This record gives sequence, structure tokens and C-alpha cells, in this order.
Amino acid sequence: MNRVSELLDKLHNRILSDAKLKADETIREAQAKADQTIAEARQRAQREADELLAKAKLEAEAVRRNILSSKVRANRLRILDEKNRIVQEVLGAVEEKLSNIAKSSRFGETAQRFVAEAVKAVDSDQPVVRLGFKGSSKQNLDNVSKVLPKGSKLVFEEDPVDGLGGVVASDAEGRVTFNNSFRSRLERLDSQLLRLIASTIFGE
Amino acid sequence: MSGIDAVRKIVETEGQARRIVDEAKVRAQQILSQSSQEAEMLRQEALSSAQKQREEILRMAKEKAEAEARQSDVETEQLLKNYRKLAEARRDDAVSKALELVLSG
Repeated sequence: MNRVSELLDKLHNRILSDAKLKADETIREAQAKADQTIAEARQRAQREADELLAKAKLEAEAVRRNILSSKVRANRLRILDEKNRIVQEVLGAVEEKLSNIAKSSRFGETAQRFVAEAVKAVDSDQPVVRLGFKGSSKQNLDNVSKVLPKGSKLVFEEDPVDGLGGVVASDAEGRVTFNNSFRSRLERLDSQLLRLIASTIFGE
Repeated sequence: MSGIDAVRKIVETEGQARRIVDEAKVRAQQILSQSSQEAEMLRQEALSSAQKQREEILRMAKEKAEAEARQSDVETEQLLKNYRKLAEARRDDAVSKALELVLSG
């Protein structure tokens, strides 16, 4: 009888011991899996965070570039505007002086030369020359007729030619015309004038 | 001990063993569930921290760019001032040269 009881105790202990072993194994496996899950999650989170930060750095550089380039562009425009304003102011003063050239001592010589250039450009036996300067009179333009070939026609305009004054020559039929007004000369010399004024003022 | 008692004891023991194993399974499930929560929490913490760093990086970049932009304004103002001074000093010379070009050119 004792023998049976002893065997039963052993069997009881064995069953419980196996169950505990299995339970321990189950928990150990779960723990290992949990550890792995957490380690993987940590790595993944770090990777995602790194990616986010790398993207943020690119974004920050783009923000910086955007702010700076807008400002640099705006400031370049301000500088160009100011330089242009200065150049235009000089051109305005030049136009003012040109329109009042009749008062200067160079007027007679200048008018003669302009007429001579225009007549030469038209290259006609019977050129028609129109001239008109602010504040000039027929008297102070008398010398002009000296440079005209015979058969020329000289017309004194009451108003300055093209607003600022000057000379326009054409052939008798009006087919060939050469505009030697100050306005026309300013237009023809536009790029040279801009360079000259800019280099004189800004040293460029 | 009778045979019936012996069988009853074995049945009881097996029941006890089953409970031990079942409890372990429940515990294992809890461990796994906790680990999932912890993993999600880790992710959220890392992303939240990265997000804060991102905002700081952007804020600093913006501040730096704005400071550089202000510096560009200062330099531009200085340049404009210099150009105005030059224009004042050289204006008559420029007018005279331009006039000469128009008259003789």
C-alpha cells in the first residue's frame, strides 16, 4: 500500500514539475520575443527619427535659401533701380542742356556740323534741311547756310525738332531722310551713353 | 488508498498542472502585449523628440536666414548710400562727357 502511495506521490510531483517546466519555457519564450520586439521597435524608431531629422535639415536649407535668395534678388533690384535712376537723372540733365544749346557759345558750330552731317548722309543735289532749336533765331542760324550746297532748301522750324532740337535732312522727293535731331542722336548713342555715364559715376 | 482515490488524485494533479501551464500562457500573453505597447511608446517618444528637433532646426534656419537677410539689407543700404555720394560727386562730369558724346558722336 505504501509503495502505491509513494508511486502516486512521485507521479504527482513529476506532473507538476513538467507543468512548471513548460510554464517557465512559455514565459521565457514570451520574454525573449518581447525583448526582440522592443529592440526592433527601438531600431525602427531611431531609423524613422533619423530620416525625419535628415529631411528636416534639407527642409531647413531650402527655407534658408528661399529667404536669402528672395532678399538678395530684391536688393539687387533696388541697386539696379537706384543706378538706373541716377543714370536717367544724368540723361535728363543732358537733355536739358541740349534743349538750351542755343544759349551756348558752341551753338553755331554745332548746328553747322549737324547740318553738314545730315546733308552728307542724304547725299542729294537738292537737299531739304529742316532745323529747329529752342530759343534760336534765324539770325543766329545764318552761318548754317554756308555749309549747304547750291540748290538746297533750308526750313527754319518754330519749334525744336523732336522736342529737344536738331536737324532733319531729306532729298527733294522726301524718299531719303536723315534725322540728326538731339533725340535721334540720343537714341543712336543709347548704349554708349549708358556705358559712359555708368563708368564715369560708378567706375564700372 | 483505494484505486478510486488514486485516480482522483492524479486527475487533481493534472488539473493543477493545466492551471500552471494556462497561467503561464496568460502571463506570456501579457508580456507580449506589454512589449507591443512599450514598442509603440518607444516609437512615439522617438518621433515626438525628432519632431521637436525638426521644429528647432527649422526655427534656427529661419532665424539665421533672416539675420543674413537683414545683413544683406544693411550692405545694400550702404551700397546705395555710396552710389548716391558718387553720383553727387561725379554727376557734372558725367553730364559733360555725355553731352560731348551726343554733340560730337
